Amino acid sequence: MKLYELSAAQITRGIHEGKFSASEVFLSCLARAEVLEPQISAMLTITEESGMAQAKAVDEAVASGKKLPPLAGVPFVVKDNMCTKGIPTTCASKMLMQWKPPYNATVIELLAEAGAVLMGKTNLDEFAMGGTTEHSVYGATSNPWKLDCVPGGSSGGSAASVSAGYVPFSLGSDTGGSIRQPAAFCGIYGFKPTYGLVSRRGLAAFASSLDQIGPFARTVEDLALVLNAISQKDELDSTCSCRPRPDYTKALNAESLKGRRVGVIKEIQEYAIDPEVRKAFDQTLKFCERQGAEIVEITLPTMVEYGLPCYYILALAEASSNLARFDGVRYGLSTDAESLLDLYTKTRAQGFGLEVKRRILVGTYVLSSGYYDAYYLVAQKARQLIKQEFVKAFGSVDTILLPTAPSPAFKKGELINDPIQMYMADIFTLPVNLAGLPALSLNAGFSADGRPLGVQFIGQWWDEEGLLSTASLHEKTFGCAPIAQGGVR
Amino acid sequence: MADLTFKPVIGLEIHVQLATKSKLFCSCSTDYIGVAPNTNVCPACLGLPGSLPALNAKAVEYGVKAALALNCTINTATRFHRKNYFYADLPKAYQISQYDLPIAEKGYVDVSTEEGGSYRIGITRLHLEEDAGKLVHEASDGRLVGADQSFVDYNRGGIPLAEIVSEPDIRSAAEAKEYVTRLRQLVRYLGVSDGDMEKGSLRVDANISVKCSDGRWGNRAEIKNLNSLRALERALEYEIKRQSQLLAEGEEITQETRHWDDVEGVTRATRSKEEAHDYRYFPEPDLPPLILPEGYVEKVRNTLPELPWQKMERFMSSYELNETDAMILSEHMALADFYEACVEAGASPLRASNWVRTEVLRVMNEQKIDITEFPVDAAALAQLIAKVDDNKISTTAAREVFDTMAAKKVSLEEAMKICGVEEGGISGSDLEKMIRNILENNTDVVETIKSGQDKKGKKQKFLQGLIMKEARGQTDPREAASLLAKLLEE
Ligand SMILES: [Zn+2]
Repeated sequence: MKLYELSAAQITRGIHEGKFSASEVFLSCLARAEVLEPQISAMLTITEESGMAQAKAVDEAVASGKKLPPLAGVPFVVKDNMCTKGIPTTCASKMLMQWKPPYNATVIELLAEAGAVLMGKTNLDEFAMGGTTEHSVYGATSNPWKLDCVPGGSSGGSAASVSAGYVPFSLGSDTGGSIRQPAAFCGIYGFKPTYGLVSRRGLAAFASSLDQIGPFARTVEDLALVLNAISQKDELDSTCSCRPRPDYTKALNAESLKGRRVGVIKEIQEYAIDPEVRKAFDQTLKFCERQGAEIVEITLPTMVEYGLPCYYILALAEASSNLARFDGVRYGLSTDAESLLDLYTKTRAQGFGLEVKRRILVGTYVLSSGYYDAYYLVAQKARQLIKQEFVKAFGSVDTILLPTAPSPAFKKGELINDPIQMYMADIFTLPVNLAGLPALSLNAGFSADGRPLGVQFIGQWWDEEGLLSTASLHEKTFGCAPIAQGGVR
Repeated sequence: MADLTFKPVIGLEIHVQLATKSKLFCSCSTDYIGVAPNTNVCPACLGLPGSLPALNAKAVEYGVKAALALNCTINTATRFHRKNYFYADLPKAYQISQYDLPIAEKGYVDVSTEEGGSYRIGITRLHLEEDAGKLVHEASDGRLVGADQSFVDYNRGGIPLAEIVSEPDIRSAAEAKEYVTRLRQLVRYLGVSDGDMEKGSLRVDANISVKCSDGRWGNRAEIKNLNSLRALERALEYEIKRQSQLLAEGEEITQETRHWDDVEGVTRATRSKEEAHDYRYFPEPDLPPLILPEGYVEKVRNTLPELPWQKMERFMSSYELNETDAMILSEHMALADFYEACVEAGASPLRASNWVRTEVLRVMNEQKIDITEFPVDAAALAQLIAKVDDNKISTTAAREVFDTMAAKKVSLEEAMKICGVEEGGISGSDLEKMIRNILENNTDVVETIKSGQDKKGKKQKFLQGLIMKEARGQTDPREAASLLAKLLEE
């Protein structure tokens, strides 16, 4: 077994036992990435030097007999919308091409404390807006399982790099499914935690009330380890909860699903779902039943009918405001201009891509006076109703099973000029963000032509343990997520 | 036409900079005076990607404190909104402010009139918001017009402000000035702001319209950024005249924002209606609702000091001070405290009032110091006053001693020693000995008196003066006079 194929847990254990060094692991991962990058293009920056220095520091700690932190020597990559001090943070936008933040995102600090080694920054849809990782100023990322397909988005680079074995885990951000959908398309685990579990400080905001950072991994244990590391309260993020966090690795010892109620949404019949995705979903449901779970039908009519428009109004309203700071005055792109207004318009016209502009315009429109009541206010009300519906649903179930996306990964270019169709791909993921719930996407098989099929479990608020427990049982039966060969054998 | 009269209707919006040590949403210092530009900044107040606001609890406390003093209702569940607009001094391109749910509303403040009465001005709301940065324009002549370059200093960006919005209850420029004076006194008194208009800690926007006696209403104009009481008064006077004249001529008044030109003494339109902003307010998603914990408001209320106007009332009723004196003494908390400490140490209230208003204020003026740095403490002054009251030393001697205490920063005993003033003064046999001595040295005068030529008593008064001079005020004049009369008859 190659070092890059190891899980995070195996890496730290191996380093601790002296089987190999953190530097060897880092070089192995780096080599893997170097071989596959020409085909996949998942990375925007590779932090070879600083990563190597971090790995060596771990080796020195081992040599001096120091106690190792839980992720010591584990290489990881993060979506390039999280601030890394002195390392480019581009958001895959022309707007921030040259920008190096003067501070680290809280999650980056926490992972450094946990001993993990940053190997680089990954590609994404510009400012996390998109579902394919094609809306990047640096070009599209390929799906490691099928190079002519998209890896999903917007955290496509983070998903692809874990799927292709560059690193055992990575971080993405999920505003409407941006972790779970690419996890499904790339055949790995993707975890969107409860809103407020993980600090958003240092994450370039798309929609503040929906964004949440979470991990990608190929084993459930790694998900738990990373969650342990990043789910700390943060006084600098007022929306980050103060509640105590459990040790998530304790949730991995479930024997069965006895006593657990798994919900199936009645209205799911109304959706056009790809037959192979449908099959994967049914099989997962059967698995749950076999494990002793009780299957309960629930109904979420508001979510089904209004989830998508409600999401796109609220997310884009917040986005239009969050992205207003990119004005050419202080950092990033700044054009030559005759006046202040000229500076704003030229900088923003040149700096933002089409999809981002489209979303800013919609967001500005729905917030403007005269339309606010008709759009934003109504969407806020719809969001409350959707939350209440979930509260009610969770009265009779412990978790909800849904396909992660209506279809497996689609071909590159297929939806790039069809935004509505692309937005539809988020139909099963975005209600989770509206309600702030946790959800975990896992691989439930492959299509006949080799594309991964994903399903997601949605949990109650703060029940990440229940999700990890269910996923670990699934992993025991079907195995962990396999590494994609990325067109290279 | 000639009998038309015009009534101005004025409402003020006052931005008060709260005296917190750190900014409203981050821990950067608020101490920006004389600091190099853009040094008190961090990712949060610069609005860098990924940065988030974290509310400063002290700013909330100060806001609530000021609001309680203004008799406002405190809203214990409020939230923040984003006010979106583009400008270089606004790092995030939105300002975090309170919109539909201010932290306080529906208060009032009573303002005294020149005629001695008082009138009540309603407070619509008090809300919290962050300040913007500061633009510095550089042209060859240093003026904004024709500036080649502009720079932004974000040191002030994010400093906490309380915006206090009045009802349109103000009826004249003088009333407006009185109201602002009162508010400034209040925020200083409470220690929630230094209230310094010159430094920009207190900034005033005025809304003004005029109503004609024939029932016509003029549109409202807003005059922005009046940065002194004088500017406020002059601008309002000008605007009342301008709007009344237009109405008298049957003209329409444009609803607009105007700017006060202090040099020319006129207001000018700055922004036309076509450019009116759509701020696209919406609830700030980076901050949870602000829920004040139970008992919070009461806790803050308990920290409220006696307010200046309450203090003034009390000084008048318990110390029998007249209105003017009570007002002077209650204007500043530290001065009032000094006065009361003096009374508590045993000085009679009226006597203490006289001393503080005349002598203490005079020395403060001469030495250019604050009452808190005053070299004579209240207890020492009370002791001195008691000596005068007990006829132990004369007022003249006491003044000399006081001046010495203040100038040389010495104790009462030392000052008396320096001035050669003795407690108890010169009396009895000492006084008799002194008078005899004076009479011996002025035999000619004594002769004149004794021969009955001092009909108007002028010569005797002269002798009395010599005695007082020799005694350096340390004797009871009545005792001296009777003793002198007795000795002259010998
Ligand atoms: Zn700051």
